[in-house]
Amino acid sequence: MKKRISYGIMFLLIPAVVLCGAFLFPAKQYAWISLCAAVLSCVPFFLRFERGRVGTSQMILIASMTALSVLGRVLFAPIPGFKPVTAMVVITAMYFGGEAGFLTGSLSALISNFWFGQGPWTPFQMFSWGILGLIAGLLADPLKRSRVMLAVYGAFSGVLYSVIMDIWTVLWADGYFNLSRYAAAMVSALPFTAVYAVSNVIFLLLLGKSIGKILDRIGTKYGLQMR
Amino acid sequence: MKAFANVHPAACMTYFLSVLSVSMFIPHPVLQAEALLGGIMFCATLQKRREALRDLGFYLPLFLMIAVTNPLFSHNGVTPLFFLNGNPVTMEAFLYGVSVAVMVIGVLLWCKAYSEIMTSDKFLYLFGKIIPKLSLVLSMALRFIPVYLRQARRVSRAQRAMGLYSGKSFTDRIRNKLRVFSAMISWSLENAMETSASMRARGYGKKGRTNFSLFRFRSSDISLLAACVFLLAVTLAGASLGITDFTYYPRVGIIRTTPDALAVYASFGVLSLLPFIMEVKEAVVWNCCKSKI
Repeated sequence: MKKRISYGIMFLLIPAVVLCGAFLFPAKQYAWISLCAAVLSCVPFFLRFERGRVGTSQMILIASMTALSVLGRVLFAPIPGFKPVTAMVVITAMYFGGEAGFLTGSLSALISNFWFGQGPWTPFQMFSWGILGLIAGLLADPLKRSRVMLAVYGAFSGVLYSVIMDIWTVLWADGYFNLSRYAAAMVSALPFTAVYAVSNVIFLLLLGKSIGKILDRIGTKYGLQMR
Repeated sequence: MKAFANVHPAACMTYFLSVLSVSMFIPHPVLQAEALLGGIMFCATLQKRREALRDLGFYLPLFLMIAVTNPLFSHNGVTPLFFLNGNPVTMEAFLYGVSVAVMVIGVLLWCKAYSEIMTSDKFLYLFGKIIPKLSLVLSMALRFIPVYLRQARRVSRAQRAMGLYSGKSFTDRIRNKLRVFSAMISWSLENAMETSASMRARGYGKKGRTNFSLFRFRSSDISLLAACVFLLAVTLAGASLGITDFTYYPRVGIIRTTPDALAVYASFGVLSLLPFIMEVKEAVVWNCCKSKI
């Protein structure tokens, strides 16, 4: 019964929030809707995690992978764009499944922005890193098997990250999807996109095998159920 | 200092969300200017002068960049100022650029204030009841970071003692950091498994987990919350009646000065200046108390 009420609230409340916002902020309704979409698309994963029977060891593994990727972002802060966060998220997803990947990605974005500054971009970062983890979890087997696939996925995720983040920039600045500004934003972000892609490939190729070995060893040593 | 830091997290979060939603999503020149002013005043009370000057060096160029580049992307508008490569540079596009710049910088300043005031323990206090598992993961990750940083320094010192220096070159620096990073991974995961065993042993999952920081909902919080909700309601009512509609294209609209529009401007103005007002009140009370002694 309680569950049914909470689902009811969700089904009524979410469209209500989105519609009210679209009605109240007519000039920025697309920006509002996209922000809502970014926030709300994280909710089902969080709820699933909350409701599911998750063991302490899995929770703490997610926490420490998150902490490590935040630490990576902090350690590599002097080199702009060159960050191991995506690589860590992808590796987590490969070995612990897509759900763990989503959580690690979105929580890394949330936590690291306590240092790097919260803003309207936080939900979008949470969403894009989360979704990159989720996809990596789905592709876990081919990613584990071939290094080429891993490199391709690293490059792809660098590009996807940029593509998602720039949508917000344009929708917010113009109130609608201004294609020429989007193109301009993509072009001006091109060096960053390139650095993201290259750094993802480098980190995945360098860390993928070694972290994978560590994770496998820990799994056997402590009898963890992977995925 | 920082009267606002003592506010209950729930009131604080409501306040920030209401100011941010208006300043992010209602592009009306008066409201934007008020949000920017409120953000500047709030950040001024939070920061030291040196920090503020450094920030000025960041925000001023950003402002100019956004304001000046907009006419290059957008050739809408009916009042050409001059022609560039055969494309008209219009006054409307320029003014729109200025308004976007005011909005972006206002929101950035408010987010900065948010990061200063809504520290992670307040965030966890708010969400710990609703999403216990997730907020436990969050708080563990937050706890791990300083621990890992300390350990990373230890690892790097040990590696230096072993003769693994990092040179000045880019690849060398990266390789050094990677070495530290991968040593960190196996250490931290082993550590995590031990922590999980000890958590199980100490009865994790039982009821009655407590928070690190305790906040009491005082009467001042209630009045702040009420004021915030009321002022936001007036502003949003104005938005729903179309009072805050404002267009730049094809022609710049007129800022309304009817009584109801003025009421909307005034209420958002008070809303965005609330932290500053509280700060001033605090300072006045403090000075009064001092002079009585």
